[in-house]
Amino acid sequence: MASPKLERMLNLTALLLDARVPLPAERIQEELGYPEDRATFRRAFERDKDELRAMGIPLRVEKVPGRLPEVDGYRIPREEYALRDPGLTTDELAALHLAASAVQVEGLPTTEGLLKLGGLVAEGSPDLGVHVAPLPADPNLARLFGAVASRTPVAMRYHEQDRTLDPYRLEFQRGRWYLTGYDHLRHEERNYRLDRIEGEVVLTDLPTFSPPSTTVPGRARGAWELGGEEPVVARVRIGGPQAHWALQHVGPDHVVEVDDDGTVVIELPVTNRSAFRSFVLSFLEHAEVLAPPALRDDLVAWLRAVE
Amino acid sequence: MSNAAAKMQRLLAMVPWIAAHDGPKVTEVCARFGLTPAQLAADLEVMWLVGLPPYTPDVLIDVVQEGDRVWVHFADVFDTPQRLTPDQAVALLTAGASVLSLPGADPEGSLSRGVAKLATVLGVDAARVLDVDLGGAGADILDALRQGVAQHRRVHLDYYSYGRDARTERDVDPYLVHAEDGSLYLLGHCHLAGGERRFRVDRIASAALLETTFTAPPEPPEVAVFQPDASDPRVILDLQPEGAWVVDAYPVELVVSRPDGRVRVTLAVAAEPWLARLLVGLGPHAEVVEGPEPLATAGSRAATRILARYG
Repeated sequence: MASPKLERMLNLTALLLDARVPLPAERIQEELGYPEDRATFRRAFERDKDELRAMGIPLRVEKVPGRLPEVDGYRIPREEYALRDPGLTTDELAALHLAASAVQVEGLPTTEGLLKLGGLVAEGSPDLGVHVAPLPADPNLARLFGAVASRTPVAMRYHEQDRTLDPYRLEFQRGRWYLTGYDHLRHEERNYRLDRIEGEVVLTDLPTFSPPSTTVPGRARGAWELGGEEPVVARVRIGGPQAHWALQHVGPDHVVEVDDDGTVVIELPVTNRSAFRSFVLSFLEHAEVLAPPALRDDLVAWLRAVE
Repeated sequence: MSNAAAKMQRLLAMVPWIAAHDGPKVTEVCARFGLTPAQLAADLEVMWLVGLPPYTPDVLIDVVQEGDRVWVHFADVFDTPQRLTPDQAVALLTAGASVLSLPGADPEGSLSRGVAKLATVLGVDAARVLDVDLGGAGADILDALRQGVAQHRRVHLDYYSYGRDARTERDVDPYLVHAEDGSLYLLGHCHLAGGERRFRVDRIASAALLETTFTAPPEPPEVAVFQPDASDPRVILDLQPEGAWVVDAYPVELVVSRPDGRVRVTLAVAAEPWLARLLVGLGPHAEVVEGPEPLATAGSRAATRILARYG
């Protein structure tokens, strides 16, 4: 059963997609059989526009050319509306479908995106073999991703300070979402925990940025790296029986020495000292901070309080 | 989203696909877009009334269903699907990046290619803008565990028990590998402990697949990381505000706010090294109020042992 509202919204989309120049409201009212009463039309038209925008349809308001006094007109620029065809093969689409079925971000839709890409295809895909609990949602996640993708600087409040930054990258680590970005005020790259952002992130009108080509992603970062403190490189010795577990955490690149008994010395870049201390103490007496002296002293002072 | 909006989004995706595929089979359209044949017919019915001014039959979209195939004509205005919204894009890329982050994932496989193509049309380099880490594991270890789960075969583990600060060898009937809160876990029946246990995959130093098979329960039981036992000894701690996260992180049994701003909690302790770690980690932010020996002094003795390394 076709609903008049659905029919009208589809025809409105078709009309505005087809329009070469912005169409004034009265033209839209006339073509689509909206109510004749001006106030009733306005209310219905406003609702329809809101719904189209909520679907992500780029409905633009521009001046109608050649009209004086100026009149607002509406159109949907095709180049902003249309998905460029990614050219996915059936097995690629099936693999994306399998991934989207296995991993969900709470509250984010997966089906709608797949439908646009060609639908839900299952191709005898093997089971992933790992059950993945839904990743936590964050109210700013989609907006920040939009800003990362469009290279738009954002404004946000963090640690009770208003900041402007170029958002480079989103990461999900140890069960949390993080943003890496260039802080305009501090002139340096920083990490932010999404769940500590206060309120809504706003996309600014500032010029778009060029992301650095030097960022080397692809490795999970330790909690000791997720902080805004002055960076120092710490050397830690970890005993043989715990070395395997430690290397699972830090990755093999940080190992600077391996002894015959399996003892390792690792070097870690530290910008979060309290997270670093927790990491080292989790090895109890099987780990020792070798350098720098400041971190060694810090740990000793901390332990004296417990002793 | 209104019912009309949901239907409309499906149509805006489905109509271009049908138009581009020259009479696809109804069954295939239904499978791809998650519809029954009756729902498909009902959805497409509205398209008869959609088109461009002057809305005469020659400019209205035409839907033809013949036999088991369906065509859409005169739908040029809807010849491409709508681009992904940021939430749709981040949901799909996150799912793809998550699966690709699992140790042993094929970096050249169909998912990797699919994610790369999708990222390209979104104007991003997927590897640079989004990174997901579900938890560490050796690829061979994870592979052995997955095979054990799939084939119901017992595995022999060399496991580092964090709580007991000891490495042990044990046989486990693996029920399930799951990812939660940034770590991978194996859930299974442990023959050493004689019950269901959960193991952090990144603390498994080696896993060997055995020939012995087992019968898996129809539904894997829920096993918490740590289940306090009625017979476990209890300790009482006073926590400064900086240490109050313990209340959320562990199953504390009694929480009392003190007039001095501290919180007094009662904790069940299954193993001394676990408590020692917690106490040295909390440092000046916690104080043991009461507890049986050796637990009451577990923190201070651990601190002494660690300090011995610092001379």
